[in-house]
Amino acid sequence: MTLHTSRRRFLGGLAAVAAGGVFAPSLLTACGNDAVGGRRLRVATWPIYIDVEPEGEATLDLFEKATGIPVDWNEDINDNLEYFAKIQPTLSAGKTIRADIITPTYWLVPRLADLGWLEPLPIDAIPNAKNLLPGLQRPTWDPEGRWSLPWQTGTTGIAYNRKATGGKEIRSMDDLFHPDLAGKVGFLTEMRDTLGLLMLADGKNPETASVADAERAIERLRKAKSDGQIRKFTGNDYQDELTKGSFAACVAWSGDIAQLALENPDLAYVVPDEGGMKWADAMVIPKGTTDLDAVAKFMDFVYDPTNAARITASVQYISPVQGVREALRAAGGDGAALADSTALFPDAATEKRLYTFRSLSEDEESRLSEAFSKLTGS
Amino acid sequence: MSTRVGGRRLTPYLLVGPGVAWLGVFFLVPLWNLFVMSLSTKRSRYDFDPAFRWDWSNYGDVFGAYGTQLGRSFLFAGVATLACLVIGYPMAYWVVVHGGRFRAALVGLVIVPFFTSFLLRTISWTVLLADESVIVRALRATGVLAVLRTVGWIDGDRLLDTPVAVVGGLTYNFLPFMVLPLYVSLERIDLRLLDACGDLYASGWSAFRRVVLPLSLPGVFAGSLLTFIPATGDFVNAYFLGGTSSRMIGNVVQDRFLVQLDQPGAAAISFLLMAVITVAVLVYARVLGTEELTS
Repeated sequence: MTLHTSRRRFLGGLAAVAAGGVFAPSLLTACGNDAVGGRRLRVATWPIYIDVEPEGEATLDLFEKATGIPVDWNEDINDNLEYFAKIQPTLSAGKTIRADIITPTYWLVPRLADLGWLEPLPIDAIPNAKNLLPGLQRPTWDPEGRWSLPWQTGTTGIAYNRKATGGKEIRSMDDLFHPDLAGKVGFLTEMRDTLGLLMLADGKNPETASVADAERAIERLRKAKSDGQIRKFTGNDYQDELTKGSFAACVAWSGDIAQLALENPDLAYVVPDEGGMKWADAMVIPKGTTDLDAVAKFMDFVYDPTNAARITASVQYISPVQGVREALRAAGGDGAALADSTALFPDAATEKRLYTFRSLSEDEESRLSEAFSKLTGS
Repeated sequence: MSTRVGGRRLTPYLLVGPGVAWLGVFFLVPLWNLFVMSLSTKRSRYDFDPAFRWDWSNYGDVFGAYGTQLGRSFLFAGVATLACLVIGYPMAYWVVVHGGRFRAALVGLVIVPFFTSFLLRTISWTVLLADESVIVRALRATGVLAVLRTVGWIDGDRLLDTPVAVVGGLTYNFLPFMVLPLYVSLERIDLRLLDACGDLYASGWSAFRRVVLPLSLPGVFAGSLLTFIPATGDFVNAYFLGGTSSRMIGNVVQDRFLVQLDQPGAAAISFLLMAVITVAVLVYARVLGTEELTS
């Protein structure tokens, strides 16, 4: 199995460049799909999020062969909020951005939909959408399945470095507050991941919890911060801190640690006993896209298990498509080994312990986000 | 004949024209927009068209909420500027006096770090300052960390993710901005003045204090401004090298603008920062004596 660079890992550090987004809106001027000669499908997504080899037989090449539609695959998204800030001036002015499909993280979907910036899915033209895993049908962020189809998914839990914990295995979020780990604990600046796990530790379900529950989680963090328990709030760069041992334990994303543990066997990832978070990056269609037929053809293509399995073998996130496991086995080679990975195919018991963060109203979002960033950004 | 005279009269304006146009379009217009934004109000979080209404309360709000980070930014940048001066002055002086025919090459070396991206240079510091790195182990063994802890600059047994690391990163990243102006002003000093000082029985120290230092003040002034101003607004060093309580005002602006979508608040902070820096620079110019600038 070749070691690939996962997307979130590749991002380490890039969050800091987010300010670049300030200057970017001018680049995204209005432009119809037919402006540049011929028919093309434009996808804006995260870096390293599809297979590119072997040349001529990668997913996008095969799609073009099958449909005659070439794809402009643009790795434009580095950070959800940064990307949101980038497309906001164009979309709020009622113009169209240069993309037919974008893949923000799930919680951004209802926000985009509420703002009227999305086209509904042409679901009737996507027969393969029936392959969507049952657990992802009608999710909290898109209860009617009207706007989005997941691209890849993953989980958020705890990563730890056995060398730095003194051999202690971590099982629960409460372990992160143990005095033994004082000054060696990290939390993500991604609000929903951090607060979701803390609410679960508090016995609350993040899919139904109240704002007060979330505020209690913030309060717990505030106390831990002033006690010197927390070393740092990080974005994707938590991986460096963890491998170096600056963090003994921290909130982390599953795919990253699976990769890192190959090089460093002291690292481990666990979905906390009380429950973990699951996330999805979802394909949505920005308002004003004219070629919905091309969009539907593409979504249908990547929801075919064989094509989905090819993507999974390369990017190694949890696929939202049923039948990928079987397709991987059938394909044989390196891919077949992946079919037995519990990181890619969580067992039913783990699946039951995974939650998403419920959609927040504008006021709730404002309140929580302000309080959280006051805590992490001071 | 008359047209030629007229043409000649216009020449200076034509020469300055592109610069004025450039600044007008790319500096004054955005600055004006920023000012208008700083006095605007959003009806809600997702109101992307804030209404202008002389809302001075934005300034009070952000000053109240982020006064700490503002003060911290000036403190960090001030200490870093001082450190740059202490490190950079002897460097520049040595190159001028002892550099000989290698002067140009030595000054070139000062700029070499700029060949690497600012971001990468800062991230590489996280490796140098890692808890078990050679540097940190040495500082631990020699008791330097214990001293820093005693004076309260760090807590815990580490350098990375502390204010000291942020100030260190700022010092490292902005050092060339200090050294180059210092070098230029020191290079212009006629070294025979030092011989003259000696002939007049001045000690080395008093020759430096009464002749070299005053003549190099324009360099000190320019160098400290070039270091202090960008260091104050920097957010990269605090992001990578700082801990839970070392965010600077640049980080706050980024958060207000991109995460909280609070464009009026971000604009108000930016203006506040500009105002405070302007006042600080004016005071500084006054103290050093403005005529030194033109000498």
